Amino acid sequence: MTREEIIAEINAELAEEFEIDEATITPDAPIYQTLELDSLSLVDLIGIVQTKYGVLISKAELPTIKTFAQLYDYIEQHQK
Amino acid sequence: MNDVLIIGSGLGGLACGTLLAGRGLKVLVLESSNQPGGCMQSFRRGGLHYDTGLHYVGGLAPGQTMHKAFSQLGLMDLPWQRMDEQFDRVIIGGRHFAFSQGYDAFAEGLAKDFPHQREALFGFVHRLQHITAADMEVSAYDYLRQTFSDELLLNVVSAAAMKTELRRESLPLFNFAHTCSSFIESSWRLKGDGNLLVNKLIGSIQQAGGKVLTGSKVVRLTEKDGRIVSAVCADGQTYEAEYFISDIHPATLCRMLEDCPSVRKAFRRRMAAAENTCGMFTAQLSIKPDALPYFAHNVFVYDKPNVWTMTEENEPVKGVMISARMPENDSDSLRQIDLLTPMPWHECEAWADTKVGHRGDDYQSFCRNKAQQCIALAEQYIPQLGELIEQCYTSSPLTYRDYLGSPEGSAFGMRKDCRVPMLSFHSVSTPLPNLLLTGQSIILPGIEGVTMTAFETCSKIA
Repeated sequence: MTREEIIAEINAELAEEFEIDEATITPDAPIYQTLELDSLSLVDLIGIVQTKYGVLISKAELPTIKTFAQLYDYIEQHQK
Repeated sequence: MNDVLIIGSGLGGLACGTLLAGRGLKVLVLESSNQPGGCMQSFRRGGLHYDTGLHYVGGLAPGQTMHKAFSQLGLMDLPWQRMDEQFDRVIIGGRHFAFSQGYDAFAEGLAKDFPHQREALFGFVHRLQHITAADMEVSAYDYLRQTFSDELLLNVVSAAAMKTELRRESLPLFNFAHTCSSFIESSWRLKGDGNLLVNKLIGSIQQAGGKVLTGSKVVRLTEKDGRIVSAVCADGQTYEAEYFISDIHPATLCRMLEDCPSVRKAFRRRMAAAENTCGMFTAQLSIKPDALPYFAHNVFVYDKPNVWTMTEENEPVKGVMISARMPENDSDSLRQIDLLTPMPWHECEAWADTKVGHRGDDYQSFCRNKAQQCIALAEQYIPQLGELIEQCYTSSPLTYRDYLGSPEGSAFGMRKDCRVPMLSFHSVSTPLPNLLLTGQSIILPGIEGVTMTAFETCSKIA
């Protein structure tokens, strides 16, 4: 998948699953605030990425993903 | 108004109810079926009581894993009887092995059969006693392969872990170890049926002013201002409470939360998409009077050393657990034996649309055939068992699904996966601060796992 395809797909998925307006998802937007993530819903985010792309975000690397752009990077680099 | 409303009266729900009622909280337990107890319930046929999920319990001696928890729940008052020193016997490919109670005795006993693996055996029992949450990320199978160079011994130490789903690619060491450890500490059978345990817990709840209502199927939970305020039952009754605890499968709970704005799709779908463990097939036998002496140990019989892969192969049955029921009349002879073998859902999926008592002749014939295979294996330990049987009652994952509401008849709830521990071990918390989870799907299955999870759930209620 190209980066553009990943962005289009994951944005739509996250908007649907976390019940937010897709327009609020921009590359530099803070992921935690935008998706209103807490420790429980963070697991939901990890689950979506794992199910959709087979990419497991490791506990160690989780703190490096702060924006949507960093999430796209992570998926792009780790997708099989 | 109730302080705590608990959905489901399995061991987890009743343990939470007992602990919270003991703290002075007003507890209401709602059970959808007409009989409380979930997997702990027993049923009566031909004057004998048969258990569904209770066979033996580990670690009940003072100072051991389960003693404190069972004491707090009032369950140490029940007539527990310590099993034989060699509490589990294993037969693989005709060779006999025994598990002794006590970690050192366990290792020493097996070292007699596997002297070249003596060091590995002592390392194994040491590891069992030092399990931490980090072992949720460790593969049980990989650990055993690294520990035991002898393939047969790897199978022998795994043989009694039929109490969980032995799946090479996913089973965490954390779960495998908890399945083994407390039984090695000490193993116990209840003199009487599982309803003794169920009634004891219900009695404690009632004595503290709580209630357990059967035939009360919750269909919807109502949210107001970010908290659950009431449970609505199929009969239209509505019950209010400060806190709600779910002791049902999380996927079933999520269907009750569809109108709750605080529970977003991501959470509901994650719970609904979680994989379930396999089910079990059980042949429950009544034995002719005075025909067979009682034995206070379990026997695990396998045709060959394929303990970890047998469910991947098709019929016939490759492994069976033999559990003798303790005679209640102090007779030396037993009257009942349970034979259990793992059974994946796909084996009974053809009858998925049928209901209890209306599954058709082909299903009956399937069950008879499977029971015969279990009996044939069990005859490696009890010669001519087939000739001693009066009656044989069978249950499959379909039975578990229809009586206990377990999706796909899963025997151990949602699967734990060492490759994705964050996604498969669950928090007792939910997106709603006053809705908590308990039961076998959350952290660990089995009597020990469910009891410990109940303590964790209750710790969240101030």
